[in-house]
Amino acid sequence: MNVRELFRDKLENSEVIPGDSVRNELMRKVAIKEFMLYNPSRFNIYYLGGIAAAALASILIITSKPDVIKNQKEEFKIENSKSLDTLSSVQPQKQLPVERTTEPERVVKSTSNKTVPKISEINYSVKKVDNVVIDNKKEAGSTVKPDSLKIKAILQNKVSDKDNLVQLQRNIGAAFNVSVSGGCLPLKVKFQNKSTSYDSCHWIFGDGGFSNEKNPEWIFDQEGEYKIILKVFNTGGNQAITSSVITVHPRPVARFETAPEKPIIPDDDIRFINYSNDAVRYKWEFGDGNYSDAFEPDHRYRQYGNYNVRLIAWSSYGCTDSMLVKNAFSGSGCFIDFPNAFIPGSGGPAGGYYSIKSDEAARIFHPSTSGVTDYHLKIFSKLGIPIFESNDINIGWDGYIKGQLCEPGVYIWKVRGTFKNGEPFVKMGDVTLLKD
Amino acid sequence: MLNDLQIIEGCARHERRAQQMLYDKYSRFLLGICLRYAGDKAEAEDILQDSFLKIYFSIKDFSGTGSFAGWLRKVAVNTAITHYHKNLKHRYHIEIEEYVSIETGTSSFEESFYTSEELYMVMNELPSGYRMVFNLYAIEGYKHKEIAEMLGIDTNTSKSQYSRAKAVLRDKLEKLGKLKNSY
Repeated sequence: MNVRELFRDKLENSEVIPGDSVRNELMRKVAIKEFMLYNPSRFNIYYLGGIAAAALASILIITSKPDVIKNQKEEFKIENSKSLDTLSSVQPQKQLPVERTTEPERVVKSTSNKTVPKISEINYSVKKVDNVVIDNKKEAGSTVKPDSLKIKAILQNKVSDKDNLVQLQRNIGAAFNVSVSGGCLPLKVKFQNKSTSYDSCHWIFGDGGFSNEKNPEWIFDQEGEYKIILKVFNTGGNQAITSSVITVHPRPVARFETAPEKPIIPDDDIRFINYSNDAVRYKWEFGDGNYSDAFEPDHRYRQYGNYNVRLIAWSSYGCTDSMLVKNAFSGSGCFIDFPNAFIPGSGGPAGGYYSIKSDEAARIFHPSTSGVTDYHLKIFSKLGIPIFESNDINIGWDGYIKGQLCEPGVYIWKVRGTFKNGEPFVKMGDVTLLKD
Repeated sequence: MLNDLQIIEGCARHERRAQQMLYDKYSRFLLGICLRYAGDKAEAEDILQDSFLKIYFSIKDFSGTGSFAGWLRKVAVNTAITHYHKNLKHRYHIEIEEYVSIETGTSSFEESFYTSEELYMVMNELPSGYRMVFNLYAIEGYKHKEIAEMLGIDTNTSKSQYSRAKAVLRDKLEKLGKLKNSY
């Protein structure tokens, strides 16, 4: 059977016995949770919550502005005016499904290039938003074509049939330009009113927002296609209408993981696993000066170090997002290990320096290490008499004392030192000196 | 031991005895599920406890249609997914020992050759994302589109991670097989 069948058949209904303490721990948690929920006779967090909610409500009632209510009435008036349009509430035409379940936490080590402002202040009395800087179009690596920044969608001639009836003798006409007709979330759009012969106007932005300004600016904070509607009126009681579509593209979400959890740097091949959403193009920065644009690359670092890893992702439209993990492999991979035997050359002391060649014949006794900053090695005879010492990790023991080859047999080594991350080590063991 | 209906009603009234009976009857079955999703047994037991808490406090949501074990299974799987999302930043998982070259093979495996302990062990060694996708597709039987929604990834990511997961599992099983044969 194949892999899928194997796992399914054997594990679909398999049983595993929990540890002994699990049951009691669970019952304890259940009791605590029940107490928190179901004990109305005692003062508990729900009473506290109720008081806080009541306090908040009264504060809101006291401080709410009277303007809000007045503007709402005005909106309704315009809505109900005798016009030939049936202007029901305008929804963005395409609700793109947001497929994320929970938003992963992006705190601590990772940073994102989004600068999303808080849009909660937008209410029915529309604010001018020119103080807010949204620089999404100018991000490094974004492939939004420069042309789109300058596109002026002029749609004033796309007036609906109904409006032809409205344009009586007065030459009132509705038209507008937009600074951009599509872009990445969040999208700031400047509207320029090019209508003729009108006295007042009313903009509907399609995401719930309105404006009566002549040339409003609006920020779209949700992805979608928005039908922008401009109605203009004159004192003669005539009106005209036009509309246009603004497309707000979602940003991709860059997300990644590396495996294995504690790699040995520089030896291990590290796999970079890509969990990004809505992206079609990637750029990985491994932090050692190397890059990759593969979906899930592997990379091996040449040197020990702390590496910051960044993944940049682009959607098909060109919106971008990135995720940065600083010191992605910190605290990993430091070690010091000694062999348990070696064969000194019989031709005289070799000095303690070792090489790949000398290692092939196991000539010099020395450790293999990663990330050692401080090192003190001592060799003793079996009886505990000190024989050799080295404080240099590049100098091992060639098996000689004062020019004489030591007897074959078992010797004791002891090493003290510190790793790059500050962790100290002390190790001891024995090594067998073999005859050549 | 009461029957399922009595246990459910007792749990709905938060009777400790009924809750304990539910645990005694179903904990092994549910831990078998949690262990597939976790990186090790300790984590699996965490997920198990969270699953039971969810079960005890939302047992009224069990409509009575469909199997009770099936409902329990769904709660456990959802709890495992929540757990996975919470730990995505911090928990990587037990290391893969060697670099695996991805081959598209269709090697065949003898069912009786592997114990379920060995299969759990191999599963635990997968990167957590691969493991989630593999479990949801190959064992729970969800489609890639559903998996994409549950995990918050692209449908394409789910597909590619499933095939990579299979390749890694195949490789590990082959290595394990060789090791066993050499005894």
